[in-house]
Amino acid sequence: MKTYSISILVCAAFIAGCAAHAPRELVNAREVYRRASTGPAAQVAPAELHVATQALDKAEKSFKEDPDSYVTRDLAYIAQRRAEIAEATASIIFEQKGNTLAKKDYQEMQTKIVEQTKQDLTQTRTALAESERSGESSAAKLSVEQDARIASDQRAATAQTDRIAAENRALAAQAALAKLGEVKNEPRGIVVTLSGSLLFASNVTTLLPAAMARLDQVAEVLLNNSERRLMIEGHTDSQGTNSHNLQLSQGRADAVRSYFIQKHYRANLIQAQGFGETHPIADNSSAEGRANNRRVEIIIERDPTVSSQ
Amino acid sequence: MFIIAISIVLGCTSPLLRTEASTSGIRAAEEVGAAGVPQASLHLLLAKEELEKAIEFSKNDERKKAESMLLRSEVDAELAVALSREDTEKIEGRAAVARVRQLRQDNSPTPVNPL
Repeated sequence: MKTYSISILVCAAFIAGCAAHAPRELVNAREVYRRASTGPAAQVAPAELHVATQALDKAEKSFKEDPDSYVTRDLAYIAQRRAEIAEATASIIFEQKGNTLAKKDYQEMQTKIVEQTKQDLTQTRTALAESERSGESSAAKLSVEQDARIASDQRAATAQTDRIAAENRALAAQAALAKLGEVKNEPRGIVVTLSGSLLFASNVTTLLPAAMARLDQVAEVLLNNSERRLMIEGHTDSQGTNSHNLQLSQGRADAVRSYFIQKHYRANLIQAQGFGETHPIADNSSAEGRANNRRVEIIIERDPTVSSQ
Repeated sequence: MFIIAISIVLGCTSPLLRTEASTSGIRAAEEVGAAGVPQASLHLLLAKEELEKAIEFSKNDERKKAESMLLRSEVDAELAVALSREDTEKIEGRAAVARVRQLRQDNSPTPVNPL
């Protein structure tokens, strides 16, 4: 600072004493130096300004010794450039500081943004995980419901298939039995009526050989529906005593039952009962009527899965 | 090319004229892009002219004038370098400030439309 002050005083003295004779280069140098020494260069580029001061001092000295020489002009020119270099250096340092601050500001902002982004990302991940957990729970629930629905549908389909199969079997059995005897569809079940004269000789409970062949055909149809309960009913005409007819009809019903059991129909599903002459279906006063009353009825229980018609 | 030409010329002149500082200053100014900065390019041009003048003085056996002119050339080349650097720093500074502003703008909350 002391050097600068001296230089300024020297400059001022020369300006005062020799302003009229100073070359243009020196005048310019003084002006630029004054500007530089009072500007930012004094603070941020003291080394460069010091060089400028020395240059101007040399120029002033030369001017004092030889005012009009090219040496003075060149030294003044150089002094002006040195002052300009000091100013430019100050400007560079100023800009560099600004750049550094801007870069620091930029980095701090970036760091802050990255931190904020990380926080946001963490929150988003948490929310997403929660959402996924909720989604998985819903998906699992949905899956169970779907499985239950599928199972239910399958059960319904199976039941429907079974029902159709049962209906088909019933229809087939009914058609087959219709070929073997009179078949009636009554509320108590399918009733197959076999003529007593075809099955038994008069007043006996032993099956005729021909009857066995007919019963074989019936048994074959029944075994295809072997889960049905059977009721074998024996009936007689009104000839003879009631007790005898009752006993005769029971014996004939038992004989048919035994035959079916022999053919592997389950015994617990077959019941046999004799009704004697108590359930006539025709007039006993005629031979034809009595022949119709002598009969064995096989009642096949309805399939519970088949809707009644 | 200019530097090479000057070197050839110097080969034919006085061997005592030391132009290294001037030529290296001019080369440095060219390398930092002084030709592309208006103020710097002016001083680069002056530095070259002054170097040529110095050589002319040297050819004419005006050694002191030549040396004095070389000093002018050197200082003009030096100023061209400083002005180039200043321009570069200013450009970088403006870009840095613009980046900061853009980053602020990009990350500021979206203003709510009052309508």
